[in-house]
Amino acid sequence: MIERILLFIMIIVGFWGIVTKHNIIKKIFALNIINNAVVILFVLEGSRIGSNAPIMESGITHIVDPVPQALMLTAIVIGVCISALALSFAFRLYKITGTFDVREIKRQVHHEA
Amino acid sequence: MKPEDLLFAPVVLPLIGAALVIAAKAFLSRKVVKIVEYIGAFLGLGLPLMFFAIIYPTISNGVVIYGIIGGWHESVGITYQFDGLAWLVNILTYSVCAAAWIYSLDAGPEGPSFTSVFLILTAALSATIITSDIFNLFVCLEIVGISSYILVASTDKPGASLAAFNYLIISASAMVFFLIGVYGLYRITGTLSYQGITETLQTLPDHGGTSAIISVALIIASTIIRVAIMPFSGWLPDAHALAPHAVSAVLSGVLIKVPLFALSRVLSFIPSGASAGQLLGYAGALTAVLAVILALCQNDAKRLLAYHSISQIGYVVCAWGTAIHVGVASSQGEALMTAAFLHAFYHALFKGLLFLSVGTTVDRAKNRDVYTLRGAASILRASGERIPVTLITFLIGALAITAIPPFNGYISKNAISYALDGTILYYLLFVAGVGTVASFIKLSRIYWQKPNEMISTKPQPVPITAHISQLGLALICLISGVIATPIYANTKNLLTGEYPQYVTNWYSPATLMKTAVIVMLGAGLYLLTTTKIISRLLKKLRELPSHFESLFIYFSIGTAMLVGWMLWFK
Repeated sequence: MIERILLFIMIIVGFWGIVTKHNIIKKIFALNIINNAVVILFVLEGSRIGSNAPIMESGITHIVDPVPQALMLTAIVIGVCISALALSFAFRLYKITGTFDVREIKRQVHHEA
Repeated sequence: MKPEDLLFAPVVLPLIGAALVIAAKAFLSRKVVKIVEYIGAFLGLGLPLMFFAIIYPTISNGVVIYGIIGGWHESVGITYQFDGLAWLVNILTYSVCAAAWIYSLDAGPEGPSFTSVFLILTAALSATIITSDIFNLFVCLEIVGISSYILVASTDKPGASLAAFNYLIISASAMVFFLIGVYGLYRITGTLSYQGITETLQTLPDHGGTSAIISVALIIASTIIRVAIMPFSGWLPDAHALAPHAVSAVLSGVLIKVPLFALSRVLSFIPSGASAGQLLGYAGALTAVLAVILALCQNDAKRLLAYHSISQIGYVVCAWGTAIHVGVASSQGEALMTAAFLHAFYHALFKGLLFLSVGTTVDRAKNRDVYTLRGAASILRASGERIPVTLITFLIGALAITAIPPFNGYISKNAISYALDGTILYYLLFVAGVGTVASFIKLSRIYWQKPNEMISTKPQPVPITAHISQLGLALICLISGVIATPIYANTKNLLTGEYPQYVTNWYSPATLMKTAVIVMLGAGLYLLTTTKIISRLLKKLRELPSHFESLFIYFSIGTAMLVGWMLWFK
């Protein structure tokens, strides 16, 4: 149970960070936090049965549910892509406006447009 | 060769095309890259269209091709399903994408990187509708998302980067909630295929209870972010207005509809789907009205079009949600689903056309303000357009979206009205129709009168590729309106497996009368908006501050409402 509560707190922290932080790098980090919280949630779910990693060599029994782990590999890859892309947008915005503050960026961009 | 073997053509061919183009960019000289780009685009956008023609007889006989990717066992493999719905949505995707790509050749953004990302987007859209595995749906939606963020930012306008960033953050965080929904369903049912989930949920006591409902609601809410009905639509106007014109056409035409129809595969059969459909139907109708009011306030030509996309997707969602509510197998449900798809398809065509025509115009005029730009027709003439192609294609698009016969919008909007007759939704959509007429009168004013400034420098000529794509879309808008009856019949057959029992008379006196009333009221509304008080009010509405945080607040409120509604009416 304690794991689930911790994960719930992690998701809340991530969501709070995305919504309230004005620095876009912090927003991206918060997105990462919430993403990872869900990854751990899935892996936790898979480990309800079994205790060994699902590497199918001879002699390994009592494995955890392999499906969530397979899913999360994909989700992690997607998460990395999203972060990389978001950071590249942040860099581009920084080059244009010279700041990471989302309010300031918005003000300047509206001026130019 | 069996049709099953060809099934992945619409997904794999664009990916091969994209790989070829990007590899050529890395290794070959500039001239060769251009040729490879054309080959890749033909491979990715042309060949799949041929495949759809080949497979049509099979699909129209009601054959549904099921399968598992890679031949894995049913419990672990990714299942897919190619049926009438998949065929129709693929046709929608490929026709608009092909036209938009041709437009982009000279009007930009050009270059091998753009083409390859564009092809990846096409492949992902196609995969989204073919898949019948909930986790695979997540992956497809993410690929659609990533490639569309890149495409929105593929211009040097600083605003576009910010719009792309906002769009990325809101939709990437929504996808996290999608994953939580998938987690909930996997926990309850132990499977990921739509069919498995539905069957297991039906056998469970209380259909899986509260946690199943919350999971489904999370999945719906995070998919609806892409569909952009209110209150989830905050990201759309910026992204669609600031993207390059060809990309706007694809975003508005295709990208907001494919997730919706992919969702209908899940919702139509899941026990709690009906109540969600009802709420979405109401939300859609309200969206149609509210977005059209906001469209009427806008001063930027492309932003106005973007708000109209929200309004028109409201029509689609209204019909779609009500169809799911009454049951897709009932006769009203069948009529509504057909009308919803027809409007989605026709909207893709005319909205794509409008974005391209207006894009061509504002590029020549170097002004996007609806209130100050005047005489665009003469500016276009000065750019060397002897026959006013852009003006004509704009007018065709505008007549189609305002539902004037014989263009296609008339057919699809009336198909929705027929099926909704007598409900409150019908009247809401009527009001939205009036607003649409008013705002397109406002937009079309940019073409008339004399230009405000003398045309000092000759505007650059309109490239032939832009003309080809605009004319192509305009022609389809006209043809699909004129021969609406067979198209309607075949769409219904593909979606429901049977042809309509009787032929609808699209041009009955009552319907024509209604159209005339809408046009007159619309003209009246437009005149009203030019008065001082109203125009000041509209300006106030336009300048309402929009905060980044509000995207998330609306998302949370919308999701909470959905959960509450589904629990209440389960």
